[in-house]
Amino acid sequence: MSQNLTMSPDLGTEDWDPDVITRMIFIGPGAHVSEQEVVSEFHMLGLPLTIKNTCYGSMISGKSEDVYKAIEEIRKLDPNHIFTKERGFAPGDPRRCRGHRFGPREGFHQMEKEYRILGFVSNALENPKEVEIEEKKPVDVDEFKKIMNECLENKE
Amino acid sequence: MVKIAIYPPNSLILADLLERKGHTPLVLQKQIRQKIKDPEIDSPPMNITEEDPIKGLKYAAIEVPSGVRGRMAIIGPLIDEAEAAIVVDGAPYGFGCIGCARTNELSIFLLRNKDIPVLELTYPTNQDETYAMVNEINEFVDSLEETDKEEE
Amino acid sequence: MVKIALVSCGTEYSGIQKEIEKAANKFGAEIVLPEIDLDYIDESYEKFGFSAQSSSLKLMIARAMAIVEGRSKPDAVFIATCFRCAEAALVRNEVRRFIQNNTRIPVVTYSFTERTKADELFIRMEALATTVTRRSILAREKQEGLTLGLDSGSTTTKAVLMENNKVIGTGWTSTKDIIESAKTAAAEAFEQTDYGWDDLDGIGTTGYGRFTMGQEFGAELIQEELSVNAKGAVYLADCQKGEATVLDIGGMDNKVITVNNGIPDNFTMGGICAGASGRFLDMTSRRLDVDITELGPLAVQGDWRKAMLNSYCIVFGIQDLVTTLAAGGSKADVAAAACHSVSEQVYEQQLQEIDIREPLIQVGGTSLISGLVEAVSETLGGIEVIVPEYSQHIGAVGAALLVSGMGHRQDNK
Repeated sequence: MSQNLTMSPDLGTEDWDPDVITRMIFIGPGAHVSEQEVVSEFHMLGLPLTIKNTCYGSMISGKSEDVYKAIEEIRKLDPNHIFTKERGFAPGDPRRCRGHRFGPREGFHQMEKEYRILGFVSNALENPKEVEIEEKKPVDVDEFKKIMNECLENKE
Repeated sequence: MVKIAIYPPNSLILADLLERKGHTPLVLQKQIRQKIKDPEIDSPPMNITEEDPIKGLKYAAIEVPSGVRGRMAIIGPLIDEAEAAIVVDGAPYGFGCIGCARTNELSIFLLRNKDIPVLELTYPTNQDETYAMVNEINEFVDSLEETDKEEE
Repeated sequence: MVKIALVSCGTEYSGIQKEIEKAANKFGAEIVLPEIDLDYIDESYEKFGFSAQSSSLKLMIARAMAIVEGRSKPDAVFIATCFRCAEAALVRNEVRRFIQNNTRIPVVTYSFTERTKADELFIRMEALATTVTRRSILAREKQEGLTLGLDSGSTTTKAVLMENNKVIGTGWTSTKDIIESAKTAAAEAFEQTDYGWDDLDGIGTTGYGRFTMGQEFGAELIQEELSVNAKGAVYLADCQKGEATVLDIGGMDNKVITVNNGIPDNFTMGGICAGASGRFLDMTSRRLDVDITELGPLAVQGDWRKAMLNSYCIVFGIQDLVTTLAAGGSKADVAAAACHSVSEQVYEQQLQEIDIREPLIQVGGTSLISGLVEAVSETLGGIEVIVPEYSQHIGAVGAALLVSGMGHRQDNK
């Protein structure tokens, strides 16, 4: 297949509808639900949505009203471990889909990195508590000098 | 409900934490969606055309690189709409829209200069820092609600 | 299909992604993005050692690394970043060097604006695609047999006859009808030798009229001027290895080509202002009532600081020079000021867009004006400027060199 980065997409009417939106649903570490359960729940809602399983959770697409309703319901399954965000491109849009375009997708790596602290966020939501964070300050000049001299002495 | 700009403007965690509290995070993806769903434009993949860097002149002068102005044409309207902002320093950045440091510097400056409540945070690296971040965001959002009520 | 890897930042946001693809497709090439994962991006960014703030530049570095390490195997690389971005310009040049030093993959770089259209990218993509498909030809370092190079430019047509690695005849005429002008220039070149059309082993054509001439004379090589001029310049200046910059201040437009091991990798062309062209010097010499060939030596004797010149403009600038003369200024100072003015404007309009590499090889008709060559060197902070013999025939020499070995006209005789 010839790689074409800037193909003009052949999309259906629904894909062009500005009211049709896409959301990504992430299931954080330590969740009480599985990806499969989330997907089944989406189906059970009986809303006219396109539902897709993904490596991080799932992706749903449909009229904004239905999508927001579904998100509200799905969060109830495990409020502190289910996270969600908007996606610009619809699932499988050839302009963004890796299968067509190759190369990493623009937002993907950021998502990967944010995912790494999702567990911490879940904990903070689950058991809110006050914490004291010590601010890091540059080392005192005298202290610096002392350590430096110690190091130099040790070397000799 | 307050429209809150977030930086990075496509952050999962920031958008999610605000939405939970019933506020509207002003996210980049909605802007992108608007663009790519316009069947009148055929400039794949993002449907950004030479018109966008020109629209970006509203935010940056002609001597500023076209890539910055093109990005500002997408991010700028979010800043214009913002009633409050949360800026996270040291957050991981994706590529694409937010892959340009100059654009990010300008966007953050515009948010800070906008005479709206701005919360500045540092991206957490451990459990305790994450607690602190979540707490600060919640407190900030609650304070917005109070001013919102007072105004009513 | 020739695969060209895109290593860039800002192309999508400047709205030119599709133009790049269009330009590549025109020359039977396709644009590809080296596929890499997050860990590899972090790893290669650290290995490379350039602390870029923009994450898209980190991605750019990682894509370059993927090419150098052979994870991605494109035939050519197109490196592009936004014009006027300092951070990106630094990364662009370092990434370019990195790929050139570690692979044999041809590279072309470009700094773009939202105004960049496919047409501007064509010549770069053509140069890239031909470098890939004609690498063996571009590798030629010695001329053999008897070959004719024809360069049909927009104002002049040049012909050069070469035999056994030496120029034996040259011809020059202003371009009117493409074919007739080529015949006139060739006849002039033949006159200096005992040879005629029937003795040739091969013909190479370049320049604006290359296709028309190529068809008429059945040329063995028809090649764009970017590769040909670069090759001709490094051949004549004996700089076939390593880096160099070729500068051609023309009668109407100017070209700057950067070269790595004889192969061009960046190029700028400008022609919007007569004040930055040979035309300015032509006008000056007429005002001074000296022949254009005398202008250079005259300028070398003068001091540009002594002549008032407030404008680069061919109208206002020349007026200033006339005023200086009327006030009793010397012709030499005025000549020097004119050369200085052209060189400064070429610098401001064009040389800033490109990373100048030493030595600078100045070619084209204006390279014979010694005062201009001196001014260029001074403008660029005393850089070494080489003006090789036959510098005014550079395209024709390049064509004659590159076609040797390709033509076998005498074999059947």
